[in-house]
This record gives sequence, C-alpha cells and structure tokens, in this order.
Amino acid sequence: MDDSHSSLFNLGILDTLTQDELHEILDSYNAFCNATQSLLGGAGDLSYGAQFVSHVHTLCKHGLESLVRDHFLRVLEETFERNGASRFWRHFVPYADFVDLNKNDDINIDEDEIESVLYNALEEISLEKQYQEKCLLILVHALQSFKDQMSEEKHDFEAERNYLTSKYQWIVSSVLMATLPRVFPVILHWYFKRRLEELSTIMDGEFTDDVSQNKDGMDLDEKGKICNEDGEMDVDECYSNRRFSENSRLVKNIGKVVLDLRSLGFTSMAEDAYASAIFLLLKAKVYNVAGDDFRSSILQSIQSWIQAVPLQFLHALLVYLGDSVSYESTSSGLKSPLAPQPSSFCPGIDTPSESLVRWKLRLEYFAYETLQDLRIAKLFEIIVDYPDSSPAIEDLKLCLEYTGQHSKLVESFISALRYRLLTAGASTNDILHQYVSTIKALRTIDPAGVFLEAVGEPIRDYLRGRRDTIKCIVTMLTDGTGGSSSASGNPGDSLLEELNRDEEIQENFGIDDDFNTDDRQAWINATRWQPDPVEADPLKGSRNQRKVDILGMIVGIIGSKDQLVHEYRTMLAEKLLNKSDYDIDSEIRTLELLKIHFGESSLQKCEIMLNDLIGSKRVNTNIKATISQPSQSSVEVEDNAISMDKIAATIISSNFWPPIQDEPLNLPEHVDQLLSDYAKRFSEIKTPRKLQWKKSLGTVKLELQFEDRVVEFTVAPVLASIIMKFQDQTSWTSKNLAAAIGIPVDVLNKRINFWISKGIISESPGGDSPDHVYTIMENMGETSKNGGGNGIPQDLLGGDEEEDGSVASVENQLLKEMTVYEKFILGMLTNFGNMALDRIHNTLKMFCVADPPYDKSLQQLQSFLSGLVSEEKLELRDGVYFLKK
Amino acid sequence: MATINGNTDAAQLIVAPTKHPLPPPKTVDSKSVLKRLQSELMSLMMSGESGISAFPEEDNIFLWKGTIKGSNDTVFENTDYKLSLSFPTDYPFKPPKVKFETTCFHPNVDLSGNICLDILQDKWSSAYDVRTILLSIQSLLGEPNISSPLNPQAAQLWSNQEDYRKMVVKLYNSPSATA
Repeated sequence: MDDSHSSLFNLGILDTLTQDELHEILDSYNAFCNATQSLLGGAGDLSYGAQFVSHVHTLCKHGLESLVRDHFLRVLEETFERNGASRFWRHFVPYADFVDLNKNDDINIDEDEIESVLYNALEEISLEKQYQEKCLLILVHALQSFKDQMSEEKHDFEAERNYLTSKYQWIVSSVLMATLPRVFPVILHWYFKRRLEELSTIMDGEFTDDVSQNKDGMDLDEKGKICNEDGEMDVDECYSNRRFSENSRLVKNIGKVVLDLRSLGFTSMAEDAYASAIFLLLKAKVYNVAGDDFRSSILQSIQSWIQAVPLQFLHALLVYLGDSVSYESTSSGLKSPLAPQPSSFCPGIDTPSESLVRWKLRLEYFAYETLQDLRIAKLFEIIVDYPDSSPAIEDLKLCLEYTGQHSKLVESFISALRYRLLTAGASTNDILHQYVSTIKALRTIDPAGVFLEAVGEPIRDYLRGRRDTIKCIVTMLTDGTGGSSSASGNPGDSLLEELNRDEEIQENFGIDDDFNTDDRQAWINATRWQPDPVEADPLKGSRNQRKVDILGMIVGIIGSKDQLVHEYRTMLAEKLLNKSDYDIDSEIRTLELLKIHFGESSLQKCEIMLNDLIGSKRVNTNIKATISQPSQSSVEVEDNAISMDKIAATIISSNFWPPIQDEPLNLPEHVDQLLSDYAKRFSEIKTPRKLQWKKSLGTVKLELQFEDRVVEFTVAPVLASIIMKFQDQTSWTSKNLAAAIGIPVDVLNKRINFWISKGIISESPGGDSPDHVYTIMENMGETSKNGGGNGIPQDLLGGDEEEDGSVASVENQLLKEMTVYEKFILGMLTNFGNMALDRIHNTLKMFCVADPPYDKSLQQLQSFLSGLVSEEKLELRDGVYFLKK
Repeated sequence: MATINGNTDAAQLIVAPTKHPLPPPKTVDSKSVLKRLQSELMSLMMSGESGISAFPEEDNIFLWKGTIKGSNDTVFENTDYKLSLSFPTDYPFKPPKVKFETTCFHPNVDLSGNICLDILQDKWSSAYDVRTILLSIQSLLGEPNISSPLNPQAAQLWSNQEDYRKMVVKLYNSPSATA
C-alpha cells in the first residue's frame, strides 16, 4: 500500500485544507471511531454497518485510508484482547496448578470437565473470532466500494482482503501467545493423550481381533477399514462399522480441536501436543509389549501396532484436516528399512502422503530407540539368560542397525558390568559364564567384534586379578558338565563345546581356502565385505584379525597359553591319579581338541601323561599274566594275603608330570610286600627300569566286617592304613598309631576324624592330655549304648573338636604361607635397610617362588605388613618399611 | 574283631629315568643356577639363623647383599657388617665373590673389604652355600688367621683385645664406615 506516499502528501496539502474540510474530517473521524467501537464492541450487532461505511468513505475521500485501516486494526486488537483472549484464558484459570504436575501424571480432577471447558472455550473464542472477521469484511467492503466509486479501474479485492485477514490472523495469534498461561500446553497435551488412549483402546481391540482372527488377511481387513472411513461402507461388516463410526467421531472431535487451535495460531503447539501424546502412547506400548520378557521377538508386533493404531489415526486426522496431499514419489525416497515393500506400508492408500511417510519414519525411529534403550538397560539380564534370550538380542541388533547408537550400548553395559558382575561377591565361574555369554550375544549384534572388544576389556582386567581364574577356565575347558562348578552346571556354557565348535569352524575355513581361487567365491566374498564400524580402533587390527574367537578371548584373560597349559596339566594329573580304571577316552578327546587350538608341542607333556596311563594298563595286564609263574625272587606270600590282581598300578614318567606330593606312609606289611613283589615283577619285565611306589597316592576299596554289619568304603591309602591297624589291636593311643603308620601325630588326628565321623572309631582322652586313645566300635549297639550313657556331651565335644581341627588346619595353612613371606620380608629389610611397599611386593614376586609361590595382591601385602607393624616387628615411616630395632 | 578284606590298591610309581645320563657339570645352563640360588635363598630364609642374613638385589639374583652380626663375647659384639656377594654364572662350581661393604677392621680383611678365607678360594666346594659362607665369615671375625694377614695393623693389635675393641667401635661409628 502507499502509506508513506499518502502521509507525505497529507503533510504537503495540510495547509491547503479549508476550515470546513477540517471540520468534516474531524467529525467523520470521531464518528468513525465511535462506529468502530460500537461495531466491534456490540456483540453480534451489525446495525452500525451502514453508518460505518459512510464514515469510511468520507475519510477515504480525504486520503486517510491508511489511518482508517490502522485504527480499525488497533481497536480490533484491543477488543480481541479484552473479549477474546482474556475470556478464553479465564476458562483455564482453575487449572493453573497443573503446570507443576508432571506431564505423565494423571490429572486427578474431573477429566470430562476439562474437556468440556476446552471445547467451550474454543467454541466461544471461535465465535468471537468469526464475528470479528465479519467486521473486518465490512471494512474491506467499505474500502472496496469507495475505491469502486472513485476510479474506473478494477481494484484487487482479493489482495486487500488477504492483507487484512492475514494481519488479523497475526494479531490474534500474537495476542494469544503474549498472554499464554503456562497451563495451556499441559492441558492440550493431556487432552490429546486422553483422546488417543481412548482411540488406541478401540483400535487395539480391533488390531488384536484382526491378528487373532486372520493374520494373513490383515491387509485385506485394513483395506476394508480405510474404505469404510472413506465412506464406502461395507454393509456386511456392521460390527466394524459401529467401531468405525465411533472411531471417526473421535477423530472428528480431535480434528475439530486441532482446526480450532490452528485458526488461533496454535498450529505448532497443537502438533507438539498430539505428537508427544502419540509418542507417549507408543512408548507405553513398547514398554508394555517388551517388558522383561526376552524370549520372544517383539519388533514385528510393535511395527504392526504402529501401522494399526497411530498411523491410522494420523491418516484420518490428516485427511480431516485436508493436509493429505499426495506425492507420488515420496515412498521410494523415504523408505523405512523395516518396511522395504511400500505395498504393505499403508494398506488401502495407494500413495501415502508425504507427511504420513514422515510420521511413519518418526514413529518407527522412536519405537526403535525406545526399545533399544529398554533392551540396553536390561542387557545384563538378557545376557544372563543368553541362549533363551536370543530373540531380544536379535531385536536389539535390528534397533541398533537403525539407530546406530552402539556406543550407548557399550557405555551402559560396561557400567552394568562393573556394578553387578565385577564385584567381590560374584564367583569366578559366574563371571566367566557371563563373559562367554557376552561374547556369544555380542557376536550376534556385532559380528566384527569391535564393541565386544570394548566391553570385554573390563571383564578381562578384572578376571586377571582373580586367583582362581585359570583354574575355573581349565575346569570349563575340560569338564563337559561343569564339574566342580556347582554354581551353573549348564552344559551349553561349557567351553568344551566351544572347542568342538571351533574345530568345525576351522574345518570349514580349510574348505574356504580351497575354494578361494574360485572367481565366483571371490566375488561372493567381495560382495559381503562391509567396512569396519566407525568406532573401530584402527590400532587393534583389521576385521580378519579380529575374528571373534571365544577361546582366544578366554586365553587372552590369562595372558599366555603356557599358563593355561600348565594349569591344565596339573588338573589332568590330579584327575588321572584319581582314576582307578584306565578309562581316559574323554581326556584323550579333550586333549586332541586342545592340541588343535594350542598346538601340539605345548601339550606334549600332557600327551605323555595320557600315554603313561595307556602304558600302565598294558604293563598291568602283563604283570598280572606273570602271576601264575612265581617271580624268581618273590617271597612266598601267605595264603590269606590279597592276590596281586587286586592291584592296579598307574605308572608315570615323573619327569613329565607336575611335581607330586608324596607323604611317607607305612602300609600294612602284607600290602607292602605285595607292592614290592609287583615292583619286582615290573623290573623283570621292563629291565633296567625300576618302580618307585608313591604310597600315599591312589585309592583303596575296603570292606569292613563287624560283628553286626559290613561296610564298604573307597578311601585314601592313609585312611586304609589307619583302619587296618585296628585289625591287630582294638585300641591305640594316637602317638603309637602315628608311629606305626609313619605319619606325624597331628596329621593322624586330622585324618582319623574321617573314621570317627563314620562311627567306626571312637576317641577318648588318654592319660597324657595330648595323647588320645582311639578305639574301634565293634557294633552299632555298642555305639548307641555308649551314647546312652554319657555319649551326648561326648558327641558334641567330638563334633566341636572336629570343627576346631579343620578350622585350625585352614588357619595353619595360611599361617604357614604367611610365615614364609614374613621371613623373606625380614630378610630383605635386614639387608636393604628400608623398602617401600612396591619394592617389597616386587621382590617377593621375584624371589619367593617356593610352594606356594607368592601370589598376593599389593593390598593383601599391605594389610599383612600393617599386621607386622602392629606386632612391632616392622616400622612404617614416610611410606617405607624398617625393621623395628 | 574287624577284619579287612578286598584290598585294591592303585598307587603311583615312578620310573627312574636311567637312560638319560646327567649333562656334563660344567655346562650348566643359567636355569639351574637360578634354581639353585632360589632354593638357597629359600633355605636361608627358612633356617631362621640369627646373626646372618642375605638377600638378592631387586632385579638380579646373582648379586646379593649380606648382613653379619658380630658374635657376642668377641670384640665385634653389637656390630653389623654389610657384605656383597656376587655369584658367577657357573655357580656352584665356582665360589661367589664376597666383600665387606662396611669397613671392617680385621686381620683377614683388607681396607677395600676383600676377605682372605680359604673356602672362598682354593678350598671352595659346591657343597657350600650362602648360609655356610656367611657362618664361616661370622666365625672368622672372632677367630682371625693371624699368620697370613691382609691387614697387618689389625693383626698386630689383635693381641690387645681391649684396644682392638676400641678400634672396632671407633671405626664402626665413623661416618665412613658404611661405604
């Protein structure tokens, strides 16, 4: 418009105006103001219209068109502020407290009341607005008619009207925005949430009905639904019709509210409100469906739900609002990865509108992200039930592929690990099992193993600090059934199985290599290539070297395979020595598998050990074959002696076995004789080799015959020797018995507890206080008779003593270990004067290699040293330790 | 009376390896030297011998620091002497080199700490170990060999035990005592 021009012109011609003209202008201006006032203020009364028009004409005649326009709009704004906005907001004053409520909290007042208030308020303000728009039109018409009178040329009526209407629209929204109370968005949000919940309940029922009725026919059903909505009602489906009318009524209600809000300039606020309501609903749905059940995949059902409920609603809403403009090319450009075929996208709508596609993508991303966050938060639990929870892992994998938030997973999982697994309370076995499950699970999510590396690091570091790690690993490796690990005997976790699997993989790789020359195979390999994820640390080698290999990662904990092999050897020795038959098939199998993995040379000693067993079996048979022909130098054995075929010897090549503890022991004479006879026969067969018996090792099967019962036992040779002594003599003092067997008294007292606990030997204090008298209990009756007299306190005493004994022995062991360390520490301090904790620790590690070697942590050493300080053996000054002089 | 029947015994045997002759003693690898020194350290630590002590330096098991207490009722009573022991790589076939680190006023110890003791030279035998060396040196303190002195002044003064004691205390407390 030509505002500036007319004002300049006005200034110029101000002087030329006559008095009359001035009067006319002033009069008509006053009248115009009054008319405007009464027109806008006079609710609904348009009778001032004619008068108003004439005043406008008069003013325009004097070139005051812009003045008219500006004044009218100003009054319009004031009126709207007074009549529209303030009244509108007044409706919501009672609910001003809700601002502080959490958006997710339920508003605990009459919900319908708010709803009706919202409806009323919107209606009222819409009426007001309509009226004002009418007034605006009057002005437009007045201006128009004036212009028509003045000149012949056509004026653009549309432009004038558009200008004023948009100006008005702008006034309305700015007035409302400026006076917006904080409670309004909350109310809107709440309203949409409630409406949507209602809607989803309806649609949900439908959805589940559809699913349960006819999963495959879902598309058809939905097609039907859309048709219904478009008005082409299917007469047969009256049930669904009823629901649909309900549906469309709801959608219409919502649509009306949205439209009203839009007209008031709340477009974005309304959109925010229903978007957040939809997201909340979706979130609730995901939480509801996902929950703590990891045994089924839920992505599919969530996706169907998104299509069935929120997208249907949005479609209906957009259609109602008239935004649903179709773009033909949109679906191909914005394809969701989970909906690769656009046909299933939105059944019944040939070309989904662009905004609907955008909504779909937003919703799906949100669903993935929500599910991913949910799963990541529970990843620890998921991995705990790993093989069962693989559907959840698969879901997570898909989500992560879409959202790409792998680092979130790593961070959250590591902190969960630190908090829940890597604590002193968790047993090493559990940690190892969890580690293996983690490897398996993350291998699914991320085959390249990049994130596994990050997650595994803290576990590995922690396990390195545990003493029994190697032992547990070896147990897991060798024991198919979990063996001593009572915590979780799940055979699926066994590393042995992994060994087997690994073998297969390696075989497959061998085949692959053969075919690699094939061009086709090379092409397939090339097409499968994927770049490393961006998070990959380039220092840690490329994909090929990072091949996820559970055994390798486990061995990585220990540091070197030598340590593992060593531990395996010790365990194997123990196992083999405790065998009374020569059945070593499973050991051979394990060893073969280990050889594949660790190489033949490192397991050579173990192989020799197994060969010893096989050799023993052969030698044993050979020796027994010679029984019929008496050995040249053999002593004639008595008639009632045990025949030699009861003996089964395990002959070991001691150079290749781990050091074996041998305690001196006197076996009963005839057993001893038998053994030396066996040894003689051996040296006859295998000259020049000689047998040296390790008499304390092995097992003895015994049958004890009493007056009233026969009992069988399988025990260690020491125990057998003890009980056999009672064959000659029914009671022994501990000193004599120990001397007869050739073991220290304290060892005897400890060992004999076995027989006491079985009720076969009774213990009573002897004359000398440290010397006990042991008596064999000939029959059970006697035992109970004794018990009837003064047995009960005695029994209790016996029990107590036994406990004391075992506890003391554990303490003794610890004490023995600690004395060695103490002597070393005193020795080094004598010669070096003063030493810091670190140096003592390192020196002990270096030189204290006795049995058992020094294996304490720095913290343990520190507490031990502070013990010595409090015993006044050491002094601690400025962080260094001195000898107390 | 209890009788015991059916005894099956499965004990373990060792086949003495007779086919492998011992390697010639002069070409012992360093591993066996290490082992020997480690076991000597262990037995020395566990012996609980008072008055003598030795320990390898932090990073080298071939270099030990030793400590000897002067025996009671000798002029060396209430003194501690530091020694250094350096083991050859063919130990125990050669004796270790032993020196006093603390100045020791003694007929058989020269001013730079070298010791004249037969078992550390020609009378060495691989049966000796750190413990016996230290014990020998400890007893040498109280019973010097006056006939072949490294320190003639000390040898002369030895006859006067009172003056000798004063000399020992004076040197022991002098700031240069610990080298």
